[in-house]
Amino acid sequence: MGLIDDRFDKNVFTTSLDFLFNWGRRSSLWWLQFGLACCAIEMIAASMARFDLAERFGMLYRASPRQADLMIVAGTVTKKMAPVVRQLYDQMPEPKWVISMGSCANVGGPFDSYAVVQGVDQVVPVDIYVPGCPPTPEALYYGVLELQNKVIKYQTMAKKQGAAAAEADRIASRAEAMAAVRG
Amino acid sequence: MSEGNLPQTVETDQTPVATEPVDPWARENYFDPDVERHPAVRVIRETFPGAILDIVRFRDETTIHIRPELLLEICTLLRGHEQVGMDVLTDITAVDMLRLRQAPRFDVVALLYSLRNRVRLRLKAGIDEGQPVPSLVPLWNGANWLERETYDMFGIVFEGHPNLRRILLADDWDEGFPLRKDYPLRGWKEFPVYNTERTVGRVRTRWTGRGV
Amino acid sequence: MSTPVSDFDLVSDGSTLDNSPEPPKTGTLTISDEVTRPDGSHQLVLNMGPQHPSTHGVLRVILGLDGEVITDCDPVIGYLHRGVEKIGEQHRYAQVVTWTDRTDYVAAPMNNLGCIMAIEKLCDVTAPERAQYWRVIMSELARIASHLVWLGTHALDIGALSMSLYCFRERELILDMFEIFCGARLTTNMMEIGGFSRPIPELLPSMVRDFCKVFPDRQQEYVDLLDANPIWQARTKGVGIISPEAAVSYALTGACLRGSGVNYDIRKAMPYLVYDRLDFEVPIGVHGDVFDRYLVRMEEMRQTLRIIEQCLDAVENDDRPLMAYESNYVMPPHKGTMTTAEDMQRHFIWVIKGFSPPVGEAYFAVEHPKGENGYYFVSDGTPLPYRWRVRSPDFVNLSVLPHMAQGAMLADVVALIGTIDIVLGSVDR
Repeated sequence: MGLIDDRFDKNVFTTSLDFLFNWGRRSSLWWLQFGLACCAIEMIAASMARFDLAERFGMLYRASPRQADLMIVAGTVTKKMAPVVRQLYDQMPEPKWVISMGSCANVGGPFDSYAVVQGVDQVVPVDIYVPGCPPTPEALYYGVLELQNKVIKYQTMAKKQGAAAAEADRIASRAEAMAAVRG
Repeated sequence: MSEGNLPQTVETDQTPVATEPVDPWARENYFDPDVERHPAVRVIRETFPGAILDIVRFRDETTIHIRPELLLEICTLLRGHEQVGMDVLTDITAVDMLRLRQAPRFDVVALLYSLRNRVRLRLKAGIDEGQPVPSLVPLWNGANWLERETYDMFGIVFEGHPNLRRILLADDWDEGFPLRKDYPLRGWKEFPVYNTERTVGRVRTRWTGRGV
Repeated sequence: MSTPVSDFDLVSDGSTLDNSPEPPKTGTLTISDEVTRPDGSHQLVLNMGPQHPSTHGVLRVILGLDGEVITDCDPVIGYLHRGVEKIGEQHRYAQVVTWTDRTDYVAAPMNNLGCIMAIEKLCDVTAPERAQYWRVIMSELARIASHLVWLGTHALDIGALSMSLYCFRERELILDMFEIFCGARLTTNMMEIGGFSRPIPELLPSMVRDFCKVFPDRQQEYVDLLDANPIWQARTKGVGIISPEAAVSYALTGACLRGSGVNYDIRKAMPYLVYDRLDFEVPIGVHGDVFDRYLVRMEEMRQTLRIIEQCLDAVENDDRPLMAYESNYVMPPHKGTMTTAEDMQRHFIWVIKGFSPPVGEAYFAVEHPKGENGYYFVSDGTPLPYRWRVRSPDFVNLSVLPHMAQGAMLADVVALIGTIDIVLGSVDR
């Protein structure tokens, strides 16, 4: 107990049990195989032999949202597809995270037209945005590693719900990031 | 040294060279500058005298503007003809001519290809808004989805189509037909944001120009 | 709301939460329970997709089943319809090519080629010979890349899980070559009107040669794994038979058409670029089933290597110009833009103002790995195309799925979708 407390006293965990759970979560993120467009090909390439997202980080793709805790929205979300995305997100059990991969999922990408939703964050709440068109597998790695940093801070026992808490959390994490940048 | 001292080394054949291919169905006729030699034009003029409204030749392509009500008959004729044999349907689409001419508004474009002659032919039928066009599904099953897409994007009704409904847009899309010229690029309606946890205010750009 | 001050108007409503908690119901069909038909047979309606591991994207197939046998099949597409044709009407000709990468994203250089050649036909521009050879090389590499994705996902769906790893391993070699050439792996946008504006990287010819040496053995690995495999044969032989008449009637092109025995390859029928000087064969199938289309595509990969090697022999040590001479339609050379003011101005004006092609219309089709990929431009003399149409091969090929699925078993649907070789970006555009 004392060993762990001393080593990780800079982080915001409430208990060391939390840390154990979160370590398990971040080391075995199972993602929902949800490739929509071109980014899906890069996502598949990232999980193939050269980049090997699956084996190295313990990640595995699952076809069913019930067994997934990460949804990588890779590709353009159209207005026809948006209810499906929302339904899949709702079907995923807590805790769940969303990575928005590629510029189409971030902000609609190069497609500013009648049929495209300008960003998947209009449909589901997004944790990590990975820019690129498409992002190379290395960029997706960076996004996944940032997500792992976020997962390790997930507070199970004292999970706060709601928009006010999400806003507070966002401000807090942003302040922390800016403090790190300013040194 | 004057030119006249040069020996005559070239022996010319005195028979005149024929400037036209002997066979009227040969492939060269399809690219002949005289459009009346085009085999499909000849065939259509023989069978449907008043059907052709215009013939345009641009680069190596031939476009025949025909009367829309004869579209199915003309395609049947061209497909079944032994020498012309336009047996492959490549594409069916439409062009909204709103900014280019007064009437008719749409041009339904059918692109045909002949396997034996290896040539393409484009047929265009000009229709007004609300005027239906005969469907090519009885001839080619591939016309099914192509016509559904043209209906979806332009609102052109194909008579005789077994299943004319939207294909690319949602079934209950009620905002009109997108590829028409009077339809804005971003559509009429905003997308309702249904992510209740979204904390950043929506920033919406409005691009009012046609393009730089 | 602020008044617009320019064409670009940023509007922020300042709200932190948007109140529309109910997602709009668009296009959702309900899955009905088992239905008893008047003749006493039972029909189960099964919804497959749009999120499904084996549908190569967001394809939705609504199946009516009688036990395991399919009685009705209704593919629902449009979940990736992004409206590129309308977007293309608002952008200049040189910008329109950017969206062609995103339609068929596994073979982007081939799409770029089709679009560029259609614009060149409209403007009557011919690229120099060296550029034509390199165009052929890059687009044939794209053909192999597309077939590798097809094979990997098709085999993965049928059950040969390791095939996807092998195929993507080879595909990484090709993507490296694309990256060296134009900077991007996937959405390459590498063709330009008139040729190529930047020199060929020095490493590239040797990389292509190495690939041509390595690939035949790798392809032999796939053949060893699949060709004589009884499971593969049981799942693909006799499945999804398309007769030649049906293939022509459904307007199929590409391997779907050639697998049924109809000899139509644009590279042979209406040769473009330098294909009339190259020596290669076009494989034609016999039975028209899934296995035949598999064999046709595998043989196409071998023939493609022949093409690439011949092209490399022609232009490996070549220093002829890569770009057509500057004209109204061809971009000024890049060389002086960093140093000379006049060159920079000329370049700037050409790019920003765009060029106005002659009034008219042009259709150009290339032999895409999936079939006939055609681009139809209608020009009204302005820098923006009046109408841009993408004739995508997958869209037309996919309409044969109900025909093939009639009477097939449920487990065959995956094989049938895979054998048509669809990429939803190209189907929906």
